[in-house]
Amino acid sequence: MESLITAAARALQAGDPLGALNRVALRNDAPSLALRGIAMAQLGDLTKAKTLLRSAARAFGPREAVARARCVVAEVEIALVSRDLTWPTKTLAAARATLEGHGDLANAAHAGHIEARRLLLLGRPDEAERTLAEIKSTPLPPASQVARELVIAGIAIRRLRTKAARAALDRAASAARQAGIPALAAEVESTSRVLDTPAARLITRGHERSLLLEEVEDLATSEALVVDTFHHAVRRRCILVPLGRRPVLFALARILAQAWPADVSREALITGAFQARHVDESHRARLRVEIGRLRTKLKPLADVSATRQGFALTPRKTPQVLVLARPVEEKHANVLAFLSDGEPWSSSALALALGTSARTVQRALEELARSNKVQSFGHGRARRWMTPPVPGFPTGLLLPGPLLKT
Amino acid sequence: MKRSAAEIVREYGPFAGVEAVHGVTYDGTHVWFASGDRLNSVDPADGKIARSIDVAAHAGTAFDGRHLFQIAEDRIQKIDAATGKVLANIPAPGGGGDSGLAWAEGSLWVGQYRERKIHQVDPQTGKVLRTIESKRFVTGVTWVDGELWHGTWEGEDSDIRRIDPDTGNVLEQLDLPAGTMVSGLESDGGDRFFCGGGDRGNVRAVRRPKRS
Repeated sequence: MESLITAAARALQAGDPLGALNRVALRNDAPSLALRGIAMAQLGDLTKAKTLLRSAARAFGPREAVARARCVVAEVEIALVSRDLTWPTKTLAAARATLEGHGDLANAAHAGHIEARRLLLLGRPDEAERTLAEIKSTPLPPASQVARELVIAGIAIRRLRTKAARAALDRAASAARQAGIPALAAEVESTSRVLDTPAARLITRGHERSLLLEEVEDLATSEALVVDTFHHAVRRRCILVPLGRRPVLFALARILAQAWPADVSREALITGAFQARHVDESHRARLRVEIGRLRTKLKPLADVSATRQGFALTPRKTPQVLVLARPVEEKHANVLAFLSDGEPWSSSALALALGTSARTVQRALEELARSNKVQSFGHGRARRWMTPPVPGFPTGLLLPGPLLKT
Repeated sequence: MKRSAAEIVREYGPFAGVEAVHGVTYDGTHVWFASGDRLNSVDPADGKIARSIDVAAHAGTAFDGRHLFQIAEDRIQKIDAATGKVLANIPAPGGGGDSGLAWAEGSLWVGQYRERKIHQVDPQTGKVLRTIESKRFVTGVTWVDGELWHGTWEGEDSDIRRIDPDTGNVLEQLDLPAGTMVSGLESDGGDRFFCGGGDRGNVRAVRRPKRS
């Protein structure tokens, strides 16, 4: 078709966004706007890219539905990469249907992958899986295959299925090699690293060691009583006592489990769980109340018995007590612990769960965000926080293929 | 205006390593097509690529009996068909918005895609001699037996139409099946048109309606 557009599109495909811009920088027709948008996206100016793609979508005529749908998909992908999840999902669904209806199955699949990535980012792996299943299985271009496998791996990691995750990542790696896009290969590699770096610490009888994600997975079938600081719960196989909203009870359970089979003095429990500087009689009274509550909660799993100087944990139906802890227990670990469930949390919900003020949580979140340990999306009251290592999100853009050949 | 469905006689390709066909011409024995960074000649009898010239080839292609003309970016290259050497460059009238190219009556005819125009251009200087307005996005352009035909491609629809070179009025129209694109058009001087299939990367032979 158009000469300069063809030349610019070829430059983009060859990874030369500046060459593409050179050719269409001064033109404002629809394909040029789209090309400029993609070039700007590849150069990292996502705001400008979004504006250009939006104008391109408007500038394409009513007969050019496919070209317009491709612009929408590109714009949504840019939004996803910049963690703006507020875009209307209906727009993407409509674009996807248009592409599918016109036989552009590769770009329709790309749109489906974007939707699945969004769902995974929102902590909805079941829906993400359903979306993936809906995507028509045509031979996908290698870059699309990488995206797909990364989402599959992300879902598997979320569900602690390391074997499935590893298999998906292997497939992603070979597709990335085929695609020949170095950024994509690096993305797969960094995701794979999640499986090979210690994901947790295991503390038992005063000793501790690092655990890989695989070993954490094995714990689910172990006989042991596990005090899980990731989920703020105590469990043995499928019996689960969630203590997420009872931080004091959880702290007591953890201190007792770490000392097991030994007992723990009242003073140690009070200083550890109540954060009290010096212990007085009112603390002792409160400890009695809290231990009573803990005893009720843990009834199906363990007993909390009084000893001469304090309390001890006695697990039922198992000779083993483990504490599963984060690899590094850092400042604000409690905030991270809640966020590591992968769900988006509002700061007020976190404050409630942590039993602290909203302002304290806000400060902690801001500090964690500065070191990239958490991230947020949305604004004002709708703002949500989550931990970032969610695999399946190439930060680089794939962008819809042949955007400009109409 | 006469309107009918295009009769596709034969399909060539898709060819290995060809992502899209941007322009088509015919030198009397071989069909030439532009595929981005190459011009390829295909023997219409066996459908195989006989020869390739490495040259920027982003849109229309034409042949004047000795030279190939090929649009690249915002210029028209004049190429020696025997040696493959680029002999000259003239500016393209659409400044890069050019698509189809034909040679007839000593002039080059250049389709300007989104402007829906066909320019008659002096092949020596690139000067625009006159401009014909069409109603649709223009892709390939060809002349045969004094008839001016051009391909259109707008959105998902393509057709091949004969227009009045003076008024631009459509005289005859051959509709291609939905989803079949025309990028590049050339007559073989007889009863066939060759059309580029856009990003399908193929070339089609379409029957030219008989004159009664």
